[in-house]
Amino acid sequence: MVPFSETLVRLWQLVSGGQFIPQLIDSTVLFLTGFLIALVIGMPLGLLLARVRVLRVGIEPYIMILYATPMVALIPFILSLMGFGFVPKVLVVFLFAVFPILYNTVEGARSIKPELIEVAKSYRSSEWALWREVMLPYTLPYTMTGVRQAIGRALVGMVAAEFFLSSTGLGQLIMGASQNFDTGGVFASILIIGLIGVGLMRLGLKIEQHFARWRN
Amino acid sequence: MTESTMNASLAVDAARDGAAISERLRTRVMPRVLTGLFILLAWEFVVRALAPAYVAKPTTVIAAIPRVIVDPVFLRATGATLAAVAEGLVIALIFGTIIGLLMGRSPSFERGIRHYVNGFYAVPMIVVLPLFSLWFGYSGVTRIATIIFAAIFSIIINVADGARSVPREYLEVARSFRSNRLSMLTGIVLPSSMPYLLAGVRLAAGRALIGAVVAEFFISVGGLGYYILYNSRSYHHNEAFVGVLLLAAFGVSFELLVNWATRRFMPWYRRDEKTS
Repeated sequence: MVPFSETLVRLWQLVSGGQFIPQLIDSTVLFLTGFLIALVIGMPLGLLLARVRVLRVGIEPYIMILYATPMVALIPFILSLMGFGFVPKVLVVFLFAVFPILYNTVEGARSIKPELIEVAKSYRSSEWALWREVMLPYTLPYTMTGVRQAIGRALVGMVAAEFFLSSTGLGQLIMGASQNFDTGGVFASILIIGLIGVGLMRLGLKIEQHFARWRN
Repeated sequence: MTESTMNASLAVDAARDGAAISERLRTRVMPRVLTGLFILLAWEFVVRALAPAYVAKPTTVIAAIPRVIVDPVFLRATGATLAAVAEGLVIALIFGTIIGLLMGRSPSFERGIRHYVNGFYAVPMIVVLPLFSLWFGYSGVTRIATIIFAAIFSIIINVADGARSVPREYLEVARSFRSNRLSMLTGIVLPSSMPYLLAGVRLAAGRALIGAVVAEFFISVGGLGYYILYNSRSYHHNEAFVGVLLLAAFGVSFELLVNWATRRFMPWYRRDEKTS
């Protein structure tokens, strides 16, 4: 153990020293790339599954399985197939993030009352109007629950990729401190990642609540 | 009702059941099986076309299963990981439930620790590994500690939510019958937060499994995670992938088990967003 004061001193050294900002940017780029790809693929796919019932019934169990699989277990394969570059790390973040989005979107799609679609159809609503007025408003709150979960998971994926693939970013900060038995430095880095985690969690909740205002 | 009409109605029931089953086959089972086959075929094809021979593909993984599941090394690894997850989960469940109940029922206690619990919950659990390995060394203790850290906060948060949402009337009735605090906690608050507790456990189990695997990667202590790491490093991808399949099976069965328990023991509780 180290006293808290020493942790704060190390924290100040980290932040004021030149190494922190580049590492933070590195991690941010990795996080955002993986997360955005997950969003761009997960959301439309989820909505498509919401609309096309046969596809949904077919794919649903597999999404549920992948959602429940600890994705970390795939990291050794990704490492040995794709090596140490940026792309495999993005893949890890993507894999962590995409399934909560998909899983929750499909869950939302299941909750659409068939009558709503039937009524819309019997008023000869166009496909586009059906999507805009029924499908999207109904599934978006669920998708956003998935987005919140995905933010948390993507953060884990980011650190896991930085630990077990090539060591970069905030993960490297922790690893470096730990290898030097610099407990204060480890604490300081954990504190930083913890604060980022809390901030992202807040953001996720805000996003979720914004879209869930009229759920129920 | 005469026997003949009874027989007739039985026959109608049977016919309806038969129709329902074939309907179910057509609309549910068929798409699922076809999708599964499609995924397997695509995987097989892509790997055969593009990847080196050692990369896992369905046919070789299936061929490896009988070999792997009788391999004592694999069985020991599975046992070690499962035992650690079970031990960590039980510890997290006991302490998480106690802390959660206190948090839900004691506003001052809640004010004191709420931010820390939420904060620790938001910390990606994996970052504590370097710290735990410094504290507890490269041993099973670090793995247990990681599992507990991964699991306990989702239990605390959910149990506290549940304890807060106990209907006030129950407590008032109990109070007017002069029941003491402890029996109110165990007799009313705990049972009525059960659905929340189960939702917390569902989350915690998944997180505990991830915690165990990550810890094994990090500190190379024997278990399924280490088995996967070791085999994939030595280009035994098929064997390693059997480990992944088993982990996936554990993840899914935790999920199904908790869902089943919620439906079986708390049918009035609709599973909703209170799960994370």
